[in-house]
Amino acid sequence: MTQTAKQYDSTEGMSPACADGLRNLLTACADTKLILGYHYGEWTFGPPELEAAIAGCSLCQTELGHVRLLHGLLKRHYGADPVQLVEGRAPAEFASISYLDSDLEDWAELVAANYVVDLAVTRLLHSLKGSSFTPLRMSLEKMLDEERYHIHHGQGWFRTLCGKSEECRGSVEAAVNRALASVAEWFGPAGEPEDEALVEAGVKSRTNPEVLEDLLADIERIAGPLGVEIEVAKPSRPDGWSPGTRRARDAGPSEDILYHLRGSKNAVFKLKQ
Amino acid sequence: MTYAQVYEVFARKGHTDALKHVGSVNATDDDLAKAYAWTMYDEEKWVEMCVVPRSAFISITHDGALPLWGN
Repeated sequence: MTQTAKQYDSTEGMSPACADGLRNLLTACADTKLILGYHYGEWTFGPPELEAAIAGCSLCQTELGHVRLLHGLLKRHYGADPVQLVEGRAPAEFASISYLDSDLEDWAELVAANYVVDLAVTRLLHSLKGSSFTPLRMSLEKMLDEERYHIHHGQGWFRTLCGKSEECRGSVEAAVNRALASVAEWFGPAGEPEDEALVEAGVKSRTNPEVLEDLLADIERIAGPLGVEIEVAKPSRPDGWSPGTRRARDAGPSEDILYHLRGSKNAVFKLKQ
Repeated sequence: MTYAQVYEVFARKGHTDALKHVGSVNATDDDLAKAYAWTMYDEEKWVEMCVVPRSAFISITHDGALPLWGN
């Protein structure tokens, strides 16, 4: 991304692939942060120590705050309705990372979500620093500043579980590898046209496969010295991958997660928009 | 086996304010201590925050005794 690259105050002047790619990228980040925020909130209760409960609550708060920022951009530049984005879509329309589709069954699974999934989205946001799309650039600093503490939390707990016992280490290693398989699918295949258009227009500085490489290097830096084996499974059906959902199959967050996240049981109290 | 230790948390509100003790956290490593301190003591917009393992303190007045703030 060079200093002389064309700057965009809106999507006007972008190629159709670039404009579509930006909308899909913002939606994918917002969807993942929404479901991740739900899981952090769920784990405000039940973590191994009180400090982790407080951290979970705080991590939830910042993720949902980032969703508001990203939905604001989608509303302003694509006419999207933030309420509809949360309330009105079928599970298979969400573009969140599939690792988060179901309840996280134990603390090791939550740590993998924090260590791998959260970091994957943050790495993607890093690739937007200095973006030619100026409205996004203005929101990024706040998000990346807050994400620093998510990274400390994920790395700290990963290291802690690896050093605690063989059982804990095995659990977190398996969860991390499952999370990485989902993340690899979410980043998509090499040469994906929308992703290439975003890099060409200077909206992003790195392609998604390059961002995945950056993420793996981050993880190896901590996992390697601990002797943890990191494996990235290739997406099983790359041909069916869609940039709109970032998946190769019809799936999405569970109905149960969406029911609780949307406050469906309190529908009677909802305010009219 | 990994054990938690006590980290004391210090923060400064403004650039001309003194760095003051705001509390403590229990954490197994520096990364977690940073995350816990930041999420637990976020009542102000600190311009500086840092954590120090209590084991790194060299006490002059109360050698070996727990500080009055507990933990």
